[in-house]
Amino acid sequence: MAFPVEDKHGFSVITLKGEVDLKNSPDARKVILNNLKKRRHVLVDLSGVEYIDSSGVASLVEGLQYARSNDLGFSLVGVSEAAMNVLRLARLDQVFRIYASLEDGLHGGG
Amino acid sequence: MEATVTGETVRPSDLPAPPKDAIRIVQACSNPGIDSRDLARIVANDPVLTAELLRVANSAYFGLVSQVKSASRAVTILGSRALRNLVLCISMRDALRADSIPGFDIDTYWEDALRRAVSARSLAGLAQLDADECFTAGLLQDFGLLVMLYLMPGRVEHWSDLAHATPEERRDLEIELFSTTHDEVGLTLATSWDLPTELTLAMGYHHEGPPESSEPQDILLCKVAACADWMAAVYRCEDKRVSIQRARVLLKDNFGASAEHTDFLLQQVSESMTEAASAMGMRVGEQKSFDAVLREANLRLAEDNLSYQELNWRLQQALAERDKFADELRYELELAREVQKSLLPPCAGSLSNVVGLNLTAKAVSGDFYDYYQLVDGRIAFCLADVSGKGMNAALLMAKAASLFRCLGKGIHDPAKLLSMLNREIFETSIRGMFVTMVAGVFDPATGEVMLSSAGHLPVLHMGCAALIAEYPAKAPPLGINPDGVFTNEVFHLQGGCLYLYTDGLVEARLDDGRLEKDGLIRLVRDVSHLPAPERAAAIAAAVQARDGAVEDDLTLVIVEGRQRHGAG
Repeated sequence: MAFPVEDKHGFSVITLKGEVDLKNSPDARKVILNNLKKRRHVLVDLSGVEYIDSSGVASLVEGLQYARSNDLGFSLVGVSEAAMNVLRLARLDQVFRIYASLEDGLHGGG
Repeated sequence: MEATVTGETVRPSDLPAPPKDAIRIVQACSNPGIDSRDLARIVANDPVLTAELLRVANSAYFGLVSQVKSASRAVTILGSRALRNLVLCISMRDALRADSIPGFDIDTYWEDALRRAVSARSLAGLAQLDADECFTAGLLQDFGLLVMLYLMPGRVEHWSDLAHATPEERRDLEIELFSTTHDEVGLTLATSWDLPTELTLAMGYHHEGPPESSEPQDILLCKVAACADWMAAVYRCEDKRVSIQRARVLLKDNFGASAEHTDFLLQQVSESMTEAASAMGMRVGEQKSFDAVLREANLRLAEDNLSYQELNWRLQQALAERDKFADELRYELELAREVQKSLLPPCAGSLSNVVGLNLTAKAVSGDFYDYYQLVDGRIAFCLADVSGKGMNAALLMAKAASLFRCLGKGIHDPAKLLSMLNREIFETSIRGMFVTMVAGVFDPATGEVMLSSAGHLPVLHMGCAALIAEYPAKAPPLGINPDGVFTNEVFHLQGGCLYLYTDGLVEARLDDGRLEKDGLIRLVRDVSHLPAPERAAAIAAAVQARDGAVEDDLTLVIVEGRQRHGAG
């Protein structure tokens, strides 16, 4: 599955949807890293995520770590309840910068 | 500098000079009102041409009933049309001298052209056309190629490719080399030289067919030329099967000839070549019989079959190699699985208060658990889950498990231990991989538990019939943030049990959705009467498939406040 990327106000907005698991997390990882490697600030829209497993979370963690070491913005926006539960249980809500909506993310500067 | 040749821009001035005397004879022959004596006089005007004309006309190939010894006799015996054709053949043969295209063996071109002429002549009966006219059309139809080579001698090096190509391939190659084709150039030349209409059409339209408005006889001549092209190709091209097949199809479609008849005509072509060459004063090599060509085609077919067999054999070899490689890989995985299993303590070991269970979805797992007794009698335990699955997760699992066992024996504070493990794992973690882990120390003497969780699912503290408490993580997983702060939960087990588990258990798909934490609590309650090892097995069995398979790695650890009977 290809995850769509949109260019909005200088951010690459990557939308992850449905089930993000071992089958498609390599695609998520690739699209996230490719945009960061193009020196783009990245917002990952998780509003349509119904399920995310640890491999999907690892893709986000890797994006975050890459962004941090390259002075790039990396935030999660509109995180669905299913994804939020996973992040909250693992206390990853302390690790990621999370915005309630895409608009907030765009204003928050990634 | 080479002339620019394209279909649209071949100018008459680019073309070789026309053989003027011959053209004059050809035009006189086409004049229906001309007197035979005048015609004979015009012919006799060119003594060299006359001598050659008489030689050709008297040859066995053209087979006149009686010998002709003068121009006037030739005009009478041959008739103006046959005379015209012979003059054309001779003059076109000589229009470009052997040395006019440097480095080009013009004889090879003429041998090919002659074979087309002989082939076309062999079709005269089927087409009900004049044999000499067919011969002339066949001889002239590809003359445009010679003209292109004359205009662009630099392309002569490609002659070998052109010579062995099928008629279709030859045209494609011509477009690449000259940006035009021999039929286009032939049409320009025939029009410029004012050659007779039927021959102009045959030269210009033997590939694409003449305009619909053309005379039926002229259309037929174009068809003869098209068939002759493929008949000659049978003796010229590398892949003889293709040409034989095309010749058979074309002769059947155009003249209703059977395959046998086409083969018979092809054989005749081969047999007539030497005689025709002698008549035309051309040098040709030794001619292959059609039988020999057919044998060659069949041999090629056999070779192709052979290469198919070889291909098949190679495929079998590759498959065998793949299977061997897969076996080796399976063996390696089995070894890895054994090593990994050895890192886990047995389900119910010598310690009476702890049981563990680990089921893997693949050969190797990213989950692990461990427990061991500390020197002061307390029991250290842990359960962890590495993000992702497969070999990379298994390797990180091995590292985390070793660190826990090694460092845990000296550091009895779970939060401090996790903090240290976090820094160690962060240093070498790649691809965003992380480890969620619960580490704890249980004192069987007092029932006190000290527990710390790094991003792991909530630990359940269950009494016999109900949930007493749950302990969610207060810090993120190991390997993400090197400065992560970990804290301990300290509480009393009160004769209850602790349940530590991975997502393979609570996220397992059942008929009515995933098990979830609440489902697990219900399940524990239902089996609480069982001894801990059986209870662990019963909990796992609830989400296992009939064959025992699990969708995801599943790990469960039970820490029991009350001592297990019969253990220790």
